[in-house]
Amino acid sequence: MKKLALTMALLFLGSPAAAVADEAPISGTVKAVDAGAQTLTLNVTAKGKTREVVVHMKPGAKVVKFARATEPGKSGFVEQEVSLGDLKPGWIVSATTKHEGDKEVADAVKVVMEK
Amino acid sequence: MRLRYWSLPALAVALTTLGVWAGVPSGTRADPNGEPHDDAKGGHAHVPAPLEYADRHVPLSAWTDAATIARGKEIYTTKCAVCHGDAGDGKGPAGVALPLKPPDLRDKSGIAEMRDNYWFWRVSEGGQAEPFKSKGSAMPPWKGELSVEDRWAVMAYQHTFSGHNGPHVPSEHPESVRVGRDIYAMACLMCHGADGKGDGSVGGTLSPRRAPQPRDFTSNAFKLRSTPSGQLPSTADLYRTVSEGIRAAGGPLTFGLRGYRIMPSFRHMPEEQRLEVIEYVKSLNPKFWEQREIKTVAIPPAPPATPERIARGKQLYADAECLACHGATGRGDGPSAPTLKDQSGLRIAATDLRQPARFKNGARPEDLYRTLVTGLAGTPMPSYGDSLGPDQAWDLVYYVLSLSGDGRRAAEAR
Repeated sequence: MKKLALTMALLFLGSPAAAVADEAPISGTVKAVDAGAQTLTLNVTAKGKTREVVVHMKPGAKVVKFARATEPGKSGFVEQEVSLGDLKPGWIVSATTKHEGDKEVADAVKVVMEK
Repeated sequence: MRLRYWSLPALAVALTTLGVWAGVPSGTRADPNGEPHDDAKGGHAHVPAPLEYADRHVPLSAWTDAATIARGKEIYTTKCAVCHGDAGDGKGPAGVALPLKPPDLRDKSGIAEMRDNYWFWRVSEGGQAEPFKSKGSAMPPWKGELSVEDRWAVMAYQHTFSGHNGPHVPSEHPESVRVGRDIYAMACLMCHGADGKGDGSVGGTLSPRRAPQPRDFTSNAFKLRSTPSGQLPSTADLYRTVSEGIRAAGGPLTFGLRGYRIMPSFRHMPEEQRLEVIEYVKSLNPKFWEQREIKTVAIPPAPPATPERIARGKQLYADAECLACHGATGRGDGPSAPTLKDQSGLRIAATDLRQPARFKNGARPEDLYRTLVTGLAGTPMPSYGDSLGPDQAWDLVYYVLSLSGDGRRAAEAR
């Protein structure tokens, strides 16, 4: 009985569900950018509360914005990589973050709207 | 032994539940409350537009005008598609990672439920408006960047994704007023009738063979308005009437109602439901969508009530021939009173001005001012908006209020 329970618990912990459990998207308005510390402070509103979230950029994390494809015959959008320091207060961005200790760590930030 | 027998399946159920719970990405993980995401349609719940947007209906022609749609496409392509997608599927590259996903504009039923004033509100205010702000909407407000016409154009282009070709109005999409229709059936139908023509089974018995009768929503004569004579009421006017009810001298069935209301107050009804039922009532009259702009009568701040002002009002009361109907002392017994009829030919009483608690349009000084300048459409009470200046209107308001103790107290409270 104990062996069976242990096996099931291990199976759960190793499952893809558990792997994605700590990853979630957030969106908000850029309040401040610290390119040196590789952090981004966002004003995030959820459940009626607005609060500041400091997002730490993972080493190698990308910051992208989207532009219309200009190549002939291509339509849609293309990613344009920008640096963290290019982000300006007031811009709306989204990020997929993970909890790492007490930090929110992002491996990608997408610009939703430049203001 | 027995515990052991069923503990295995119980453990399996518990672990499965835990796995499913953990497998669903939590809302904003950074949220200390661990708020769940609302990616489903509920995140884009079509709540009624607030009063300040409720009259912002899109002109019927905008939905099908080729030039407007082309202009909308141009704007959509540059400003909206990055989130909403070129195909309107809500899968633009910047939209896919948002906590509250952009809606799929190809969703026919979802679009059909959306009223034009709601849509205009959403485009104008974006995620800054509740309840979308609380849900973490990243939608920018466009009212500062796009003109009203440009916002209509974007909506007209977005509308094409749904595959519907006609104007986006309740007559084409009854789903958009379904909630209001259900409330109407429970709360209004008995007096106002199934088609809103004022011919419900109970209505006529409220004051038999006399005015007032329940309003015919399909006609253009609405008594209680803040709009100039001859126009339809604003949504705020309808909201005020639904909330406060209508006071009157009453009839046999109103004896027990507090304040002699011939229409009850629905103040107890949640605000959202009152707005829903009003949208249904508006859907009974296409003119609400055909009028381009609602202009309301401005009511200047009430000046203090002074003896001089009341004396001037008394003179105006005589000069404007108010006494012909309302009588020299305001009792509603003027020489013309017995002959008064409303637009449907029913006898109508001149209001007894000594009983402000029964004034249909309210008894506050600003209510009387509004009644004077807009008149009461469909009744013999004319609009004095063109013949009285604001100061004169206030003089008359204070004189009328001076005819009763309650009125004097209401005036002194200013």
